[in-house]
This record gives sequence, structure tokens and C-alpha cells, in this order.
Amino acid sequence: MPSATVSLTPGLSTFQKSLKTREVESSIEQFISLLKRRQIRNSRPCALATAELLLKVVGEFPKRDAAKLFERIRSVGQRLIAAQPREMVVGNIVRRVLSLVRLIINDLEHEDDSLDASGANTPAQLHSPRPKLHSTFSMISPLKHGMQPLDSTALHDPSGLRDLPSRPPLLTSHTSYAPTGAPTVTSLFGLFSHPTASDSNTSTPPNYNSPSSSKPISFAEKIFKIEEHQQDIKTDVVDGIKEILEELEIVDEQIASNALDHIHSNEIILTHTSSLTVQKFLLTAARKRKFTVVHVEGYPNESDEVHDTLLNGARTGEPTTDERWKPLTAAGITVILIPDSAVFAIMSRVNKVILATHTVLANGGLVAACGAKVIAQAAKCHQTPVVVLSGVYKLSPVYPFDCEELIEFGDAGRVAGYEEGEFVERIAVENPLYDYVAPELVDLYISNLGGHAPSYLYHVVAEHYNVEDVNLGA
Amino acid sequence: MERSSNPVPEGELPKSETTATTMTNGTSKPSAADGPAEEKKLSGAELKKQQKAEKAAKRAQKKSEGAPPQAPPPVASKPAKKAQQQPGAKGGPVKATAKEAPKGEGKEQSTIPVRTRRLSKEAPAVKPVKAPSNKQVSLFGHLYGQPRRYGIEGAMKEVHPAILALGLQMSNYEVCGSTARCVAMLLAFKSAIQSYHTPQGTALARHFIPHYLSPQIDYLKSCRPISITMGNAIRALKDAIANVDPSTPDDVAKRDLCTFIDIFLRERITAADELIAETASNKIEEDDVVVVYAKSSLVLKTLLLAKEQGKKFRVIVLDSKPLFEGKRMAMDLANADIPVQYSLIPAASHAVAEATKVFLGAHAMMANGSLYSRVGTAIVAMLARPRKIPVIVCAESLKFTDRVTLDSIVNNEVGPPDELLGGIVGAELKRWGDTPNLQVLNILYDNTPADMVNMVVTEFGSLPPSSVPAVLRILEDASSAGVGR
Repeated sequence: MPSATVSLTPGLSTFQKSLKTREVESSIEQFISLLKRRQIRNSRPCALATAELLLKVVGEFPKRDAAKLFERIRSVGQRLIAAQPREMVVGNIVRRVLSLVRLIINDLEHEDDSLDASGANTPAQLHSPRPKLHSTFSMISPLKHGMQPLDSTALHDPSGLRDLPSRPPLLTSHTSYAPTGAPTVTSLFGLFSHPTASDSNTSTPPNYNSPSSSKPISFAEKIFKIEEHQQDIKTDVVDGIKEILEELEIVDEQIASNALDHIHSNEIILTHTSSLTVQKFLLTAARKRKFTVVHVEGYPNESDEVHDTLLNGARTGEPTTDERWKPLTAAGITVILIPDSAVFAIMSRVNKVILATHTVLANGGLVAACGAKVIAQAAKCHQTPVVVLSGVYKLSPVYPFDCEELIEFGDAGRVAGYEEGEFVERIAVENPLYDYVAPELVDLYISNLGGHAPSYLYHVVAEHYNVEDVNLGA
Repeated sequence: MERSSNPVPEGELPKSETTATTMTNGTSKPSAADGPAEEKKLSGAELKKQQKAEKAAKRAQKKSEGAPPQAPPPVASKPAKKAQQQPGAKGGPVKATAKEAPKGEGKEQSTIPVRTRRLSKEAPAVKPVKAPSNKQVSLFGHLYGQPRRYGIEGAMKEVHPAILALGLQMSNYEVCGSTARCVAMLLAFKSAIQSYHTPQGTALARHFIPHYLSPQIDYLKSCRPISITMGNAIRALKDAIANVDPSTPDDVAKRDLCTFIDIFLRERITAADELIAETASNKIEEDDVVVVYAKSSLVLKTLLLAKEQGKKFRVIVLDSKPLFEGKRMAMDLANADIPVQYSLIPAASHAVAEATKVFLGAHAMMANGSLYSRVGTAIVAMLARPRKIPVIVCAESLKFTDRVTLDSIVNNEVGPPDELLGGIVGAELKRWGDTPNLQVLNILYDNTPADMVNMVVTEFGSLPPSSVPAVLRILEDASSAGVGR
């Protein structure tokens, strides 16, 4: 994936290069400063850089302690997010890695348990002391996504751990996966997200294992077992991050594979920005069908890239220039460039609007390049369907309680140049870079997983992130 | 009414600093002041009548002066008095030069080449673009027609120099905006009328329109399609010409026509603007945040008047490529110490989110209530509607037309695509031309549906957009009354 292009100004490619030679800590610092100086910007480069940095962080993590590793990723993630909170993709990738670690630990623990259960050839009487426990769990398990079974924690964790917010749902979700014979009572999850409590946790099992007879699986024993698997955790996490990187690489192709399901012959499609995702989507459709593309220029922030895209097929300096994409016009597609002001005028003849996005939010709304709101609203006025193309990596578990704070403002000099001294001096010039588009203006999301209605995105979020990681900043 | 002496809305002629413009302004503006002077000496019975009728109609609207329309003496004497005041107060010093200018132009008509060189040098180096058909957006294919004229070669010899200059100014957007174009055209027509001589054996009423006026109009059309206001003004002028008695001597008839144009400008534009600005400025309240789009002389006037009234409000000017007309608007507002914020149309949703009112100018109001205006206007209106922000359109009745439109595609004007690619020149621009299947669309207007407009302020009062036909009916009645004597 790292591109061969060498740019003189620091950016994604220089960062990727230096990542190989630098120390972890200095790489983190470098990425933070690149983020702050906006030398790495936009979703894809940010996602790539974050994933590669985390790969390095995990790969060179010295200790064999899963909890420490988890905490380390978390703290690095917090620093990255604090560096540039509006590049929400950074947070998305961190959260995905965190939930990955949780899952791996969970699975591992799971494996151990089943191993124990079968390997120790557990006698039936082993479980007899705890039938009650099982019944309560099975009662709770259907609610694993919902409320927290507080009573059960109170019951089982008399050792002062009940105040840990993370434990109860994990406890239940764990049991829902556990084989019926599994003797596990405690989740290691809470342990890892709150490593300070891990010591006291060892004292927990005896508390309610006391009635159990011959072979209680003590917590100390379990920790020990996990310790044995340390190397596995690390390699698993590394593999997982590599999978995320791979996903980032193929996400556009996956989205583009849906193209023929959405574009019919002779259609007039309106799009904006120089997004590669959209270009590849349209190009894929262009191989089979003839249609017309109306491209909104997005002056002043996007226009240069849009011009590049129309003439060359990709903006210059894009990391994926190794595979040269032809411009759409070369594929025989008529492309009409219009200024932003003509969006409403031409919308009455447009069949479909395809939007690129910066970030998709959990409520189905999106943050996209400035002008997207105007396009989406005009489409609504004309009952034109609006399709948003977005990789899952852009999908953020954050709810937009305050849309205003998601909007970034750019260089006003692009709107009114500083050569017009008097104008700039006397008039407040504004140049917002992004628009928030409400979910009711969007008809369909196409991600690498397929098409979703905006109202369904909450579920995709739930599949990819762990609820407890959403509020990373806290 | 007392400010009606200046028929040219100053702000409407952009970039009037360039020499080319000052030249026409120098010649045509004084001749505007010249008209009333002649009117005083010979106010033709017909013109007086018409004046009276229109004055009466306006008076009925104007609440303050409650003079009953059936009192003819004050009505008749008032314009005469004003005509007397004008040359004394304003036209006085200018008159000397004005007397000369039309004559000089008349002479110059024979030496057109001199003028040609000067003009072609001053005209910005925008080359005429021959749009090959594969570069034309097929949806708008019906709008392309003749490529726009950027020079005067090949113009018919009847075309008056003032018109020649004006045509170039129009094609380069130096004279831009429907009202400004209409005013400039009428003033240029006045110079043209001055240098007209009826040939032997024919009458002015019969010869003037087909053999003299039509070539002028055709030339202007070839520079840029004429606006609705220009069309309305031309129709009124043609009516006036057709009504000239064939027995009238040439110079009397010419003087009558010039007077007609002056009155037309004063009543339909200058006085109407005053009235509209007054009505519309009352709609602005303390601490309002007003969103305006691009440039409208009428909206500018309204906002300046509201500021004069001591209201505190803020203006957000939205603007768009390629003309950036809003920059002038913003500057004019800032010069009046109104706090101004400026952003481009993609940021419209941010601007409208802060707004409490939207004021829009018009190119034309269609009979079905839709607003035909600078491209992008519909976006602003569309964003305001779901937020329940009132959208107020300021338009003189001159902009009303009996045509109807449903979309922005059937009726529109397509500008040269190179204008959109402003900063790109030379080889890069050629690449745009050479890339097959790549088209650039530069339309100039769009159509705002009637349901996105809350109010239209005209000189007849504030109306919902559905009342456009009513205004048209009033106008029709007034003009038939004027023509019917």
C-alpha cells in the first residue's frame, strides 16, 4: 500500500517512510504534529496513517500483558484524537483496533474455558453447585445489548467491583457464548479496561466459587493461562490491524462492485468533489453502461482537485497513483462541469445524486465537503434520490449532538484573496470546509458491506465498535 | 420622488471607471438631463396625457400624497415644475458638454473606424469562443445559438456608436444586471434618436422601427440576449414611435421620443426604485440578519435606506462564480458601515442558518409567480424555506412578464464556458477544449418556484408571487389608457 511517490512536503508518504526507521514514540509525535498542521488530512490518508501507526505500536509493545497493551492503544488513540478531533476517522480506526483487542481476548478466554471444560473432563457434579447461576445468566443473556444486569453484579462481585461500568454487559455477553458446561463466572474484559482493579479481581472467584467443589478455576490460574498466550494476542492484534489496512485498500473496489446495481443506462448522475471512491464507482459502471455525469465544481476549496480529476482521473499526489485511473471522459462518459450555483437549476433533470463523504455519523447523517447540504437539499426538492458512498472506516460511532462543532473552517483567502486588501479588511469572509447533511436528506448508503438505509447505520456501528470505546476522550 | 432626477441607478453600472464606460456615461448621462430641458419647452399633449395617467396611478399607490386623481391642475403642473427644476439644479453645468456630445457622436458616425480601434483595444481580451457542438451540453442545446459577439466587425452600418459601445460593455459584463442594461440601452437609444434623420418620402413612424431601431436591437442581441426589462422597454418605445403623427416635423418627433424615454426611465425605474426601497426597508427590523445573493441595485438601495433609518442589522452576502457580483455589493454595504459577511454559494446553508430574512433581486418575475434571477438564487430561497425564513423579492413592475416557466432549462442564457474556468489560461485551457466528452456548463439564470418566495415588493405594493398576473393587468390597463389617450 505505501506509495512510491515521494513528496517534498511532509505528508502521508513521508510519514509512512519514516515509520519504518523511527522509534515508536517519535512516530506518534510526528503523526500528531502532522495532524495538527493538517499535513495529513482527509479520511483515507488519516485512516491509513493511524492504522499503520497502531500496527507499529502493537508490534513493538515490549510487555506480555494484554491489559497493558489495551491500555497502551487506548492512550495512544486518545492522544491522536485530541490532536485533530475533526478527523473522526482517526478515532474510528482506534476504536476498531480496541474492539478487536477486546474480541481477541474474549475469544482466547473462551477457548481456554472450553479447553478446560473438555480437557479436564469435567464431571457433572462440578456444575451441580451452580445451576442457579446458569439460569440467571440465561435469563439475562437476551438483553445483552440492552440494560445492565446490575443485580447479578451485585450478587457476584461483592469485592467492590460492581462500580465498574464495563463489567456487567461483558459478563452477560460472555455467558451467552459460553458452552453450557463452562465454569467461567467472571469476564476478563473488565479486568483489561480497568487494569488497576485486576489485582483485587483475583480475590473475586473464591467468593462465589466457594460453594464449588473439586476443581475451581481460580482467577489467578486464568490470568496465568492468558499470560501463556500473550504472544498470541499480539500476533492476533497485528493480524487484525493488517486486515483493517487491507480493508482500506480494497474498500473502493468493494463499493464499486455495487455500481451496476445502482446505475442504469442513459442516466444523469450528479456528483461532487474529487473522491476516488466515487470516481471508481462511476468508472466501474462506465465499463458496462453509458450515462452522463454532472460534476459540481465546489469552488473554491475543491475546484482544483475536481479539475485534476476531470482531466487526469485522480488528484495529483494521491497515494494510489500507482494504478492510474483514467478520467471518466476517457471511458466514453460525458462529464459536465457546473458551478455550485447551478445545482438547483440542473437538478430537475438529474436522476441520481452520488455524494462522497468525509465522515458518516451513527444517526445516518454525514459530514461532507461544503456544498453537499445544498446538493442534498436541492435533490430533496426535486425528489431525486441521494446515494452516499462511504467505506465502513468512515462510519463513526459518534452522535452529532452539536453539528456546528463538526464543521471546520478553512482559509478565507481562497474566497477573497488578500490582494483585495480593502475588501478583506472590511468584510468578514467565511469559508467553511464541511457541511453536515441530516439523515432525512439521504436515501441510501453504499459501503463495502453493501447498501444500507440511513436508519440502519446504528447496527453497522454496533457491529464494528464496542459501546465502551465510543467515549474515548473521557 | 424628488430624487428622481437621476435616471441611472449609479451602483448598477459595474466597473464604470474604465474609460470605455465613462465615455458612454459622459455622453449619455448629460443627454438624459438634456431631455427634461426640451420637455419644458414643448411638452406634447400626448406625452403630458400619458404622464398624467401614470402619475395618477402612482399617486393612488402613494399613500402620503392624498391628492384625488380627478384634480388635473396639480397633476399636470407638477411634472412641468419638476422639469423646470431639474436643469437648473442638476443639469445646469453638464448641459454645455451635453449639447456638444450628441453632435460630436453624430459626426463620428461617419468615421466609425477610429472608434473601432479604440474600442477593440479597450475590450478585454476575451476571444470569441466557437463552441463546437460536442462541447455543448445537450440538455441546453437549444440555448446555444449564435456565439456571443465580442467585437464590432460586421455590425450593420446603421448601428449607432453609442449602441456599439454598449453592446461590447454588455458582452463583457461591464454593464450587467437587468435594470442597468435597460437604463443603459434607453440612454443609448436617445443618442441614436438624436442622430436619426427621416429619409425623404417616408414618415418617422413607418421608417424608424424597421430600418433604424431594429438593427440596433439586433446588434445588442448579438452581444448578449436581451433581458426581459429591455424587451418591455423596447415594446413601450415602439408603441410610442408608432403613435408619432406622420405630419410631425422630424426634430419635434425626436424630441418627443427622447422625452418619452426620460419619463419612462423616471417613472418605471427611478421612482419605482424609490418606492420599493422604502416599502422593503420597512421590512427590516432591528438586529435582523439579512441574507442577500449576488448583486441587486434594488436590494442594495433597500439596505442602505434601512441603514439611513438608523436600523441596526447585519448582512450576509452570498456570491458565486464566475461573475462575483456580490463583491461589489458587499463593498458598497461595508462602505455604509453595515456589518457584512461574505461567503460563496456552497456555504449558503451556513449563512442561511444564521439568517432572519432573505432579500433577493430579480431578473424577471414570471406570470406563474416564479422568480427568474441570477443562477444560485433558487438555492438561497430553497434553503430558507424549511427554516421558515421570509424570502422577499424586490422587483420593479418593469420586470414582470406574461411568460411562464417551470424549470431553468427551457428558458435560460448560456454564457461562454471559459468564463467558468477563470484562472485557467493557455495550454491548460486548450486541454479542456481538447478533452473529448468534457463539457462545461455556464448558465446565467435559474428559476425559483413561486412557493419558495413569500413576498414580492413592487411599486404597486407588496404582493404574494401569485399576484404577478394582477400586476400585469394593472400595467396593461395603464398602458392602454396611455396609448388610447
